[in-house]
Amino acid sequence: MSSHNNNSTSANDPRQPSAAKPFVAPMVSPQDLPVDYSGFIAVILGVAGVMFRYKLCSWLALIFCAQSLSNMRNMENDLKQISMASMFAIMGLVTNYLGPARPGSQS
Amino acid sequence: MTRPISLLYFLPLLLLLLLSLYYHVLADSHFEGFEAEEEDDVVEETIDPNAFKLPDLPLTLSESPPISTPTPDPKEPDPKPTKPSPPPSTTNFEFWDEDEFEGLPSHQPHIESVVITESATPDATVQTPDPKPTTVSKKKQSYLVEIVCVSFLIMFVINYFTGKRENENLALSWAAKFATKDSIFEKNFSLLGVGEGDDSPLLLKEGQNVFKFYASGRRYCQGLLATMELKSRHDLLSRIYNMVVPCKDEISIEVYMNDDAMDHVVFALARKKMAKAMQKELRDLQRFAGSVVQPPNGRKWVAEELAVVSESKEVAGDLISEAVLEQVFGEKSFEKYGKGFISMHVSDQLPGTQKKMLLFKFALPDANNMADMTRLVALVPYYIDLVGRYKLSSQARSKTEAARAKAAQEAYKELQGARQEALQKKKAERKKMLEEAEAKLSAEAIRKKEEKERARQMKKAMPKVKMTRGH
Repeated sequence: MSSHNNNSTSANDPRQPSAAKPFVAPMVSPQDLPVDYSGFIAVILGVAGVMFRYKLCSWLALIFCAQSLSNMRNMENDLKQISMASMFAIMGLVTNYLGPARPGSQS
Repeated sequence: MTRPISLLYFLPLLLLLLLSLYYHVLADSHFEGFEAEEEDDVVEETIDPNAFKLPDLPLTLSESPPISTPTPDPKEPDPKPTKPSPPPSTTNFEFWDEDEFEGLPSHQPHIESVVITESATPDATVQTPDPKPTTVSKKKQSYLVEIVCVSFLIMFVINYFTGKRENENLALSWAAKFATKDSIFEKNFSLLGVGEGDDSPLLLKEGQNVFKFYASGRRYCQGLLATMELKSRHDLLSRIYNMVVPCKDEISIEVYMNDDAMDHVVFALARKKMAKAMQKELRDLQRFAGSVVQPPNGRKWVAEELAVVSESKEVAGDLISEAVLEQVFGEKSFEKYGKGFISMHVSDQLPGTQKKMLLFKFALPDANNMADMTRLVALVPYYIDLVGRYKLSSQARSKTEAARAKAAQEAYKELQGARQEALQKKKAERKKMLEEAEAKLSAEAIRKKEEKERARQMKKAMPKVKMTRGH
């Protein structure tokens, strides 16, 4: 194909340096960014973990935090939600493991 | 948008948190209360026959600890049965010294143990070992969650780095194949890369799985932007999800055509299902391109899997040239080279600020087989030239112009309608505001009037009272 292209237009180079425009990153408003579902799930699970003292919720929240962190695109906006979610997750874990022992598990 | 949302999250979350903490405190205190009560109950029962001072004991919690010296005792019945089970049952009858366990709620556990020991010793032995395994398995279970989660997190982190590198390798191999020296894009564009200057970076990374490549400086077009959307290899969760719902690495190439270099052309080419979907979903195709173009007689045409959507047969026939059929889209060559082809869309009526564009969508092969898509990539400059040079015949042009005029008129009407609607909304809002203000004013006026009236009545009443007093 390229050979064909070159044959038909070999007389003149297709390049036009004068017409070159530098790249301008299109502005993307924060509304158009894809929704960060994993961050949202992380927040919900984190809160559930803290509220019901359910270990699995806190752990899952931590995992979704990691996912959200790895999919992060713009720093300032997402970082708030992620930090909040991770705070909840870690708080849930701390209260779960370091908090007062549950009366059921004394023996 | 996300800021207010996160703020919005925050308040209820804080509330919830406070509530939950409060709840926990309550729950804890409840538990404590429970224990204390139980102890008190125990005391109550034991003292019941002896003294009538009872009511004082349960009321004061502070007194319970000194009395709760028997509290270890109620727990003893639990371990006790485990201990005596191995030795013969005769000891079982002896070990209960009534004096020693005076303060005990000696009803239930005693009876049970006695009954068990009396009825059958094997029963006791069966029952007694039960608690130990359950606690062990509970511990195991509780650790199972942690083990699974921590190992998953570790795997996630490892996968993040390996997947990230994999994606980068793929994007770099594409760039190395098509955008370095003596490659297709280098021969066709004078400026490559997203930065300025000669040694600008070729690729722009956006997130972990989106890479962008920009080129500019070619006749007929202002620039070209290729966006590679790779699988989320860095994300273990979506990787697992993709095992169930497979997806491809895609590259979509947008060519921004010069306004004067493109005639009225609306054209799309894709696999049959996809073409139908595009025809339904994309607005320009919906409006200008009626339906799938039937293959003309007596001419070679695109492979059978493909379908052409176009404004007119003339455009379709001219854009699918012999060369293209021979290289990629023909029956034989498509099998060989067209595997990665997803869709192609040429339009001068796209929504948005840039109306005249060529859009190509290809699937990326492996990093090692990048050469497979050489012919597909070569389609891009070929079509830039073909479309840039293309001129409609006068007959077709009059048709397309009529269609565009009609569309423009409709758009204008729509715009006007929207504007009018906005105006009316504004008017209604203003009216509402005025009415509200009036209502407020009137309410205030009424209140004032009432106050005045009351004052007057008071005035009227007061002197009368005084008068009567005076008399």
